[in-house]
Amino acid sequence: MTVFKAFIKIFNKNKSIIIMYSVILILFSVFNMQTSDHSMSFSAEKPNVLIINQDENIGITKDLISYLEKNSKKVKVEKDEDKINDALFYRDVNYVIYIPSGYRKDFLNHKNPKISIKSTKDYYASLAEMLLQRYLKVADTYLATIDDEESIIRYIHDTLNKNVKVEVTSKLDTGHLQKAKLYYNFMNYSVLAGSVYIICLILYSFNEEKIRKRTSISSMNSKRFNQSLLLSNGLFAILLWGFYILLSFLLLGSIMMSVHGGLLILNSFVFAFCALALSFLIGNLVHNKNAINGIVNVLALGSSFLCGAFVPIEWLPKLVLNIAHFLPSYYYIMNNELIVTTEDFSIGMLQPILVNFGIILLFSILFIMISYFVSKTHNKKD
Amino acid sequence: MFIHNFKYSLRILFKDRMLIFWTFAFPIILGTFFHMAFSDIEKNEKLDVINIAIVEDDTHKVNNIYKASFASLSDKNSKNRLFDVEYTSLKKAEQLLEDSKISGYLVFLEDVAKIFVSTNGINETIFKFVVDEIAQTETIMHNIFDTKINEYALSLEPHELEKLNSLYDDIYKEVLKMRENSTDSIQDVSSNNLSYTMIEFYTLIAMSCLYGGILSMIAINKNLPNMGSNGKRIAISPTQKFKLIFSSLLASFITQLIGVLLLFLYTIFILHVDYGSHIFYVILQAIVGSFAGLSLGLFVACVFKVSEGTKTGIVLSITMLGCFFSGMMGITMKYIIDKNLPIINIINPVNMITDGLYSLYYYDTMDRFYLNFVHLLLFSFIMIGFALVELRRQKYDSI
Amino acid sequence: MDKGVIEVDNLTKEYKKLKAVDGLSFTVYKGEILGLLGPNGSGKSTTINCILSLLNFQEGSIKILGQEMSPSAYDIKRKIGVIFQDVAVFEELNVENNIDYFCGLYITDKAKRKQYVNEAIELVGLKDFKKFYPKQLSGGLLRRLNIACGIAHKPEIIFLDEPTVAVDPQSRNHILDGIKKLRENGATIIYTTHYMEEVEILCDRIIILDKGKIIASGTSDELKKLATILEKISVEVCNLAPKYLEDIRKNSNVKEVCYDNHNLVITYYKGKNNLAEFTHYLEGKKIHYNRIFSERPTLNDVFLELTGKGLRD
Repeated sequence: MTVFKAFIKIFNKNKSIIIMYSVILILFSVFNMQTSDHSMSFSAEKPNVLIINQDENIGITKDLISYLEKNSKKVKVEKDEDKINDALFYRDVNYVIYIPSGYRKDFLNHKNPKISIKSTKDYYASLAEMLLQRYLKVADTYLATIDDEESIIRYIHDTLNKNVKVEVTSKLDTGHLQKAKLYYNFMNYSVLAGSVYIICLILYSFNEEKIRKRTSISSMNSKRFNQSLLLSNGLFAILLWGFYILLSFLLLGSIMMSVHGGLLILNSFVFAFCALALSFLIGNLVHNKNAINGIVNVLALGSSFLCGAFVPIEWLPKLVLNIAHFLPSYYYIMNNELIVTTEDFSIGMLQPILVNFGIILLFSILFIMISYFVSKTHNKKD
Repeated sequence: MFIHNFKYSLRILFKDRMLIFWTFAFPIILGTFFHMAFSDIEKNEKLDVINIAIVEDDTHKVNNIYKASFASLSDKNSKNRLFDVEYTSLKKAEQLLEDSKISGYLVFLEDVAKIFVSTNGINETIFKFVVDEIAQTETIMHNIFDTKINEYALSLEPHELEKLNSLYDDIYKEVLKMRENSTDSIQDVSSNNLSYTMIEFYTLIAMSCLYGGILSMIAINKNLPNMGSNGKRIAISPTQKFKLIFSSLLASFITQLIGVLLLFLYTIFILHVDYGSHIFYVILQAIVGSFAGLSLGLFVACVFKVSEGTKTGIVLSITMLGCFFSGMMGITMKYIIDKNLPIINIINPVNMITDGLYSLYYYDTMDRFYLNFVHLLLFSFIMIGFALVELRRQKYDSI
Repeated sequence: MDKGVIEVDNLTKEYKKLKAVDGLSFTVYKGEILGLLGPNGSGKSTTINCILSLLNFQEGSIKILGQEMSPSAYDIKRKIGVIFQDVAVFEELNVENNIDYFCGLYITDKAKRKQYVNEAIELVGLKDFKKFYPKQLSGGLLRRLNIACGIAHKPEIIFLDEPTVAVDPQSRNHILDGIKKLRENGATIIYTTHYMEEVEILCDRIIILDKGKIIASGTSDELKKLATILEKISVEVCNLAPKYLEDIRKNSNVKEVCYDNHNLVITYYKGKNNLAEFTHYLEGKKIHYNRIFSERPTLNDVFLELTGKGLRD
């Protein structure tokens, strides 16, 4: 009980850190929730396009604008050049189209007027450019043979309405699952930074306490002391994990009730256990309060960056991924990816997930063994 | 006296290993992580070759126009190669899709093209886009053929009717040519400095500048009698308090500048971070940024009556929160704040530095840079002002 | 005696509720070692911090060398050296650099400073540890470094705030010898402690503080005279019958008799011939005794009587 009380005291002292990591997690999640598309039927990805029209909004100009608007997402950006530039830089707008004044007239008179654009030169910008080019080419093609503006527009419509049918074979709620994955991937950071740091601090404080108690010949059995310490830390890890899980229910909603959600929770639990083991290892290896802070930060940020907690794993360079194989976070995040893309959980499909569980647990055992070994040799030195 | 204290302050700061770790090594380590994680992002933003399948067997025939189009789009020698196409049976295609080996497959059901994909995504969208375009090309040809054939057919003798086929071929070639050549009616006027992951490195510089606050905080703390016996010992010596404080601050500032300089060298020469072309202003920004960090540390050291550890925590938390709001943990965050909550930027020194560097990299005009610059100076002077009020006090009610 | 080096008049310092120092007045004379004796929390350190102008105080005045003390009284400050209760050195600097740093706040001349630093190192006996960092020093050596940092600039007035707390006997002797040497060199010393043995052997004059007030002052002998008892005899006797205790109590010079666990302790009002009388009595009654010794009253006894509690509570 004394151990537990002391534990609460130390926890209380450090609660601001836990609150900070949680707030960051919540903010991160909420901002990622904003993009919402959860249709099961196919909908083409739409680029964010901003059209600045300096021409009269009639005829071919009007038609071009309406075509572009139909096939892209409209973004609200103030018509201020600086604001537009910011929006481009941060990919809020992928493509800005400036239609010059007199465009319609020049076009119909075969003067081949130029449209200025600003592009982010990414996927979505390419999409937007394809849209624009398609329209312009079709328009040019018809202009070469037809003079009448109305007919041109009619033909353009006829042409651009030819769309191929698309069927989505997967029945997964991809939108929600992707969000859940983002949340759980980010949890890699919160769990590592939050729980490892706190547990290391607690271990550190208790190590000091232990030394003090030993010198004053403690009535407390050292084995019992260690056991209750282990218990308190385990309890703390579970509580923190539970808190994050609860948070995920609040933020993600019903998707967490599905099999996918359950597996994500299980995966995070296995990982929380690994984090606990890692905390014991660091707590036993490092006996300097300030150093703990440094090591935990490097470790949490490092494994989050290298293993794809912040950046989608498929975007990481090969070399980085190879290094990531040496970190338990990699298997945790790989599992999140696997879980949200698997449609039916037959034994065959579950196998790679189970293998990753095994690897994370192996890491945990390794950590526990090393920390046991370290504390043994350390005690002998005393 | 000034030099004496300055010399020893430098020595004390450099001897503190944790301090050196946080101000010198940590930003460099973090920068390395950023580099490892982000170096491929922007490459990935561009289009990769998309794996698709086209079903072709006894029951499913592929239209020639499609075949020709996909052949040119999956030409291995072309710079604009878009697809890697596999012609296969329906069953195989289904299997490939389920194993995520392909993004989708195209199949002709009663001569109508249909696409099967497993999810919504960029690759799937492009696939659809291209198939649409082929279908539309077909339509254009029909339409043009229809308009031309009327006048053309009238001018032909009955025995010349096979010429219609060559007309069709001509139109086909012409339309394809028009479609394949990119139109010259689009003029790209966007900036070349569009690499938004640079923001990460700018927040890193900003973080490093503000971490300098820990240096100045510790340098000042040693002079404060209410922060420990060393401070008492210094307070009873016959030296002017402000002289000591000033020389300690100078020592911490120099230490910090060395740290920031190392970070700059590392990011420029090892990580190849692009700071744009105004290198003089970038350096100026870093110096003023470090000054802001110094003032923050001074403020925290003087105004908060708590232990040194807690003061360190305060500086770290302010910095990390500032980094979060200026995009270190997700670049979009900065934009969301810029767009929706610009009030936060006015009190966030991290963003003033980040945004200053950003405007130097991306903007052609200097207005935005100067605005940030002035904000940063204002922030520093307010911090210093509060600290001075506290510092003027010579005696304490309790120590 | 000369004019006072430090004159404290009616000093009163209140924290929110607690009166830490309550109307304190005393004078320190040139060349003496003044002991401020009192239990923890009696206001010793607060008094010193007030004298040094580190703390605000509500009432009273403090003059050093005839001048009002203030934070900017640099002429006075130059002549003061302080050794604080907590070790005040920089972990990041080695022994020599620590002393040089603090000395440098007083003495700007480099050559002179070097000489002073060496003398200070010599004085506290840290010559073999010049390049050591504080972390590498034992508690006693650390205290010595602490002292060296406070006195390297050869101050005329030295405050020592419990410099021997938690120090091994060897280092303590070294420290006490050092303090004597400083006095021989002409320094005036204010020494606070709750070890009365130190005060007895070191101090010329002693002020006993309790709850921020002076409860007694004078030389060691003068103070001891304040005690109502003058001698204490302890003797080991087996199975002493109660009637003998009654006998002993009857003596009008005996203040108290205490018998516990074969140990008999008798305290006397007056201090003459008690031992001879008592042994004579025991021999007369044919009582066997093993160990017998007589003690003069200590300052602890004085303090106990004045306040009703021990010094080291």
